[in-house]
Amino acid sequence: MAEKVSPIEALPPASREYGEIGPVSEAPRWGMVVDQERCIGCWSCCVICKSENDVPLGMWWNRIDTVGDALDTPYLEQGELVMHWLPLACQHCENPACTKVCPVQATYPREDGVVMQDSARCIGCRFCLVACPYGVRVFNWGRAERPTDFDTGMVEPRPIGTMEKCTFCVHRLTDGQVPSCVWSCPAQARTFGDLNDPESRVSRLIRERGGSQLLEERGTDPRVYYLPPRRKRGLEA
Amino acid sequence: MSTVATTALPRAARRLSRATLVWLALLAAGLATGLGAWVYQLANGLAVTNMRNPMMWGLYITLFMYFVGLSAGGLIVASAGRLFGAARLKPVVRLAVLEATVAVMVAGLFLLPDIGRPDRAWHLLRYPHFTSPLIWDLTIVTLYLLISVTYVWVYTRADLARAGSRLALGTGTGVADAQRDERVKGVLAAVGLPAAILLHSITAWIFGLQISRGFWYSAVMAPLFIASALVSGTALMILLALIVRRAGRVSFRDDLVAYLGGMLAVFVAVEGFLVFSEMLTAAYPGASFEADPAARLLTGPYAGFFWFEVIVGLVVPFVLLAQRRLRADVRWVALASLLAVAGILVHRVNIVLNGLSYATVPYPPGVSIGTRQPMGSDSFALSLFYKPSLVEYLVALGVLCFGALVFTLAARVLPLREAEHAAGGGAE
Repeated sequence: MAEKVSPIEALPPASREYGEIGPVSEAPRWGMVVDQERCIGCWSCCVICKSENDVPLGMWWNRIDTVGDALDTPYLEQGELVMHWLPLACQHCENPACTKVCPVQATYPREDGVVMQDSARCIGCRFCLVACPYGVRVFNWGRAERPTDFDTGMVEPRPIGTMEKCTFCVHRLTDGQVPSCVWSCPAQARTFGDLNDPESRVSRLIRERGGSQLLEERGTDPRVYYLPPRRKRGLEA
Repeated sequence: MSTVATTALPRAARRLSRATLVWLALLAAGLATGLGAWVYQLANGLAVTNMRNPMMWGLYITLFMYFVGLSAGGLIVASAGRLFGAARLKPVVRLAVLEATVAVMVAGLFLLPDIGRPDRAWHLLRYPHFTSPLIWDLTIVTLYLLISVTYVWVYTRADLARAGSRLALGTGTGVADAQRDERVKGVLAAVGLPAAILLHSITAWIFGLQISRGFWYSAVMAPLFIASALVSGTALMILLALIVRRAGRVSFRDDLVAYLGGMLAVFVAVEGFLVFSEMLTAAYPGASFEADPAARLLTGPYAGFFWFEVIVGLVVPFVLLAQRRLRADVRWVALASLLAVAGILVHRVNIVLNGLSYATVPYPPGVSIGTRQPMGSDSFALSLFYKPSLVEYLVALGVLCFGALVFTLAARVLPLREAEHAAGGGAE
C-alpha cells in the first residue's frame, strides 16, 4: 500500500483557510449543521465523499434524499408545490443504536463523539446495519469494484465482508480541516464545528435557526442537525 | 461414530437397510453440495446471496431463529415431564432431548454462513461486547447445547453401559447409580426449563430491542418467541416420534400422540392470541412507525405469507387438534403438526421480511444497495423484494442435511427406547 500524501498540504492558502475548522474548545464534540434552505440537491458532497474515502461502486456513505415521494420532484403542501432535500450520512449519534449491538465492539464512539468503524475487527454480522435507523451504513458484500484500477482518497480501502461508514473524515480532522462534504458544497449548506462551544457557528446556527435532529423521537440524539427551509416559495399545483 | 456404533451396538449398526443407506447417501450428497456452495460464497463474498443493504438479513438468520425455536420441544417436553409430573411423556423424552441437541446445533451453524468474515468468528471470544444481544444469544445457545448434550447422555448412559458401549464413559448400572441418575435428571430439568425460556427470549431480543424497527420493537416479542417455539418444537417432536417409531427405535401407544396433539392445540391457541394482540396494537393507531409494517403484512407484497401463517399454520391445525375424535387418529395429528411446523417457518420469514424490508427514512432514492448495479438501474432502493439466491438455498440445504445426518446416526447409535426396568410406567 503506497503511502497516502495529504493533498491538503498542496492547497492554495485561500482554499486551505476555507476548509479550516477554526478555534475549538478544549474537548470538542464534533457536529454538523445541514441547511435544507441552501441545499440544491446536486450530490457534489456525495461524489467527493466517494473519492475522498475510496468508496467502491454501488456503495455510498453519503446521499441526498428528496423529501416527498419521488426523486428531485416537488410535493404538495397546503396547495403549493414545494421541494427540498435531505442530505443523509452517518448522524454520529450521541446515543448510537449501532455501537450498542456490535458483538465485538468493532464500531464505537470516540471521545470527540465520532462514531468509528474498525474494519480489522468487524466480523460482518450486520447487526449495526439492522440497528441503525438512518440506513447510512454500508456493507462490503463482494469484492470492491472501482471505476479506476487504483485506489483513490485518503484512507485505506476496507476488506470484503466488513462494514463501513462515514467517519466525519477523521483523517482531515487531525489536519484541522472540515470533512470533504462540508468543504465541497457549492451552496455552503453544510457547517462543521464544535458543539461543546456555545459560540461556535454550528451551536449558533442550531440555536438561532431552530436546528432539529432526524428521527428525534428514537432517542439516538444525532450530532447532525438540520435547519428547516425558511421560505416555501410555492408554485401553483 | 461408526466405530463406536459397531462396537456398542453391533446388530443395529450392521443391519442398515437399503432405505437407510439411500437416505444417508442423500444426506451426504446434500451436505457436500452445501459445503461447495459455502466455499463459493466464501470466495466471492455475500454478494452471491440476495441480501443487500436495504435487506441485510435473510434466509440464514430466519433459519437460525427457526431452529432455535425447534429446539424447544426437547427440553420443554423433558423438563415439564419431570417438573410437572407429565409421566406419560416418558417414552419420548430421550428422543426429545436428542431433537433439542440437534436443533440448537443446527441453529448455531446457521450463523456461520451469515457473517461476512467467518474467519474472524474467534473475535467473538476475544472481544465480546456485552451490550450486544448477539453475545447474550451465543452464550445461551452454547449453554443450551451443553445442557442438551448432558441431558442426552444422562438419559442414555445406563443403557449404553449395559450394552457395553464406550460412550457410557464408565457409568455403573447398579441401583445406587440409577438413583443418582434420577437426582441428576431432576437437577437438569430444573436448569433446563429456565435455560430454554431464556434461549427463546434472548433470541427474541436480538430483534425486539431494535428501536429502528417499529414492527420488532415490542415487549410481546419474547413471549411470542416462546409460544412459536412451543408450537414448532412440539409439532416437530410429534412428527419425529412417529417417524422414529416407524423405524422401530422407540415405542409408545397412540394415546401419547393424542396427548401431545392436545398440548400442541393449546400452544397454537396461545401463538394465535399473541400474533393477534401484536397486529391489533400495531395497526389500531392507523399511523405510526408500527402501523406501516402491519399494513404491509395484511395487504402488501408479503401478505400471502402472513395469511398462510394465520390460516394454514394456526387456524387449520387448531381446528383439527381441538377435536377429540380427530386427535385420536395419528394421521390427523401428523397433518396438523406438519402444517404447524410450516406455519411457524413462515411466521419467522414474516418477522424478518417485515422488520427489514422498508427504509426507515422513507424518502427516495433510499438506501445504497451495496453492489454495482447494471447500467441504467438504480444504486439505491427504498425496499428490495427479497427471495434467497440459489447459493443461499444450497448452503441452507447443506446445514439441514448435516443436522439430519447427525440425528439419523445418533438415533441409530443411542438407545432411545426407555428400558423396561425404568421406574414408573411409560404409559398412563
